[in-house]
Amino acid sequence: MNIDDWRSQIKRGTLEFCILLMIKRRPSYGYEIISALEQYPILAAKENTIYPLLRRLMKEGHVTFSWQESAEGLPPRKYYSITDQGLEYIAAMSGEWERLLNAIDELKGDEHHG
Amino acid sequence: MDKTLNDYLETVERSLKPLPVSERVDIVKEIKSEMLELQGGGKTAGEIVERLGDPKALAKAYLGDLIAEGGAFSGKRVLALCAYYSLAGLSGMFVIPVLAICAPVFILCAAVAPISGAVKLIDALFGLGIPFAARVGIAGIENPFAVFVLSIVLGAALYLIGWGCWRLLLRYIRGVSSVKQRLPR
Repeated sequence: MNIDDWRSQIKRGTLEFCILLMIKRRPSYGYEIISALEQYPILAAKENTIYPLLRRLMKEGHVTFSWQESAEGLPPRKYYSITDQGLEYIAAMSGEWERLLNAIDELKGDEHHG
Repeated sequence: MDKTLNDYLETVERSLKPLPVSERVDIVKEIKSEMLELQGGGKTAGEIVERLGDPKALAKAYLGDLIAEGGAFSGKRVLALCAYYSLAGLSGMFVIPVLAICAPVFILCAAVAPISGAVKLIDALFGLGIPFAARVGIAGIENPFAVFVLSIVLGAALYLIGWGCWRLLLRYIRGVSSVKQRLPR
């Protein structure tokens, strides 16, 4: 049984969804997203995963970015925010996610009652 | 900014060469922003570099993703695919059929040789006069016992050759498909 392998597959498939959800909640910068994901071991990912992923989401038009000067001498930050297209994408993903969870629930249900 | 960090950013920059300058600048700026963020949080240059990992790997992650998007880099993918298919196609046209034919034929011969040897030996021992059995011989040797022993050795050798062809065929096919998987999608 190799649960790590399965976990990394789940991560690969859902990271995009999670990042978009975070950016939808409020505009965020890369390091902020990475740190937030670190709180969830199943989602934790390194810079070399998140930055290229953000870049792809940007190129695909799901997010947009703007450089913002931050207070107290900190470096400028690249804030990503969600676009209308990104919102549609999230809605579609949420639908699929719902269907997946329902399917799993049903299969689990069979196991208990059937 | 620390020299270690500057060197890191320079390596990333250099490794991003295939990208337009504006993208490179933006990527480096974003990484630099995180470095300063981490530094502000009290991390040392060593810790920051350790966290970000190998600069070339980081740059490669960006390139891989850009190639995957197609766009300006589809040309690269097309070239890679052409190179792959012409190599795999040309060599495959020759290598795969040759090995695929050799492997079973050698293994079949490996079985036939000792059987013929055995038939000749039985024929000679019992004087059965099986047609053509008397003609069985290896390299001019006609003695039934010697032929039988030799035919077993020959059979083993043929089997090894056939088995080798089979292994080569499998390796070749596996090699080709693993190259395919490494191609940018």
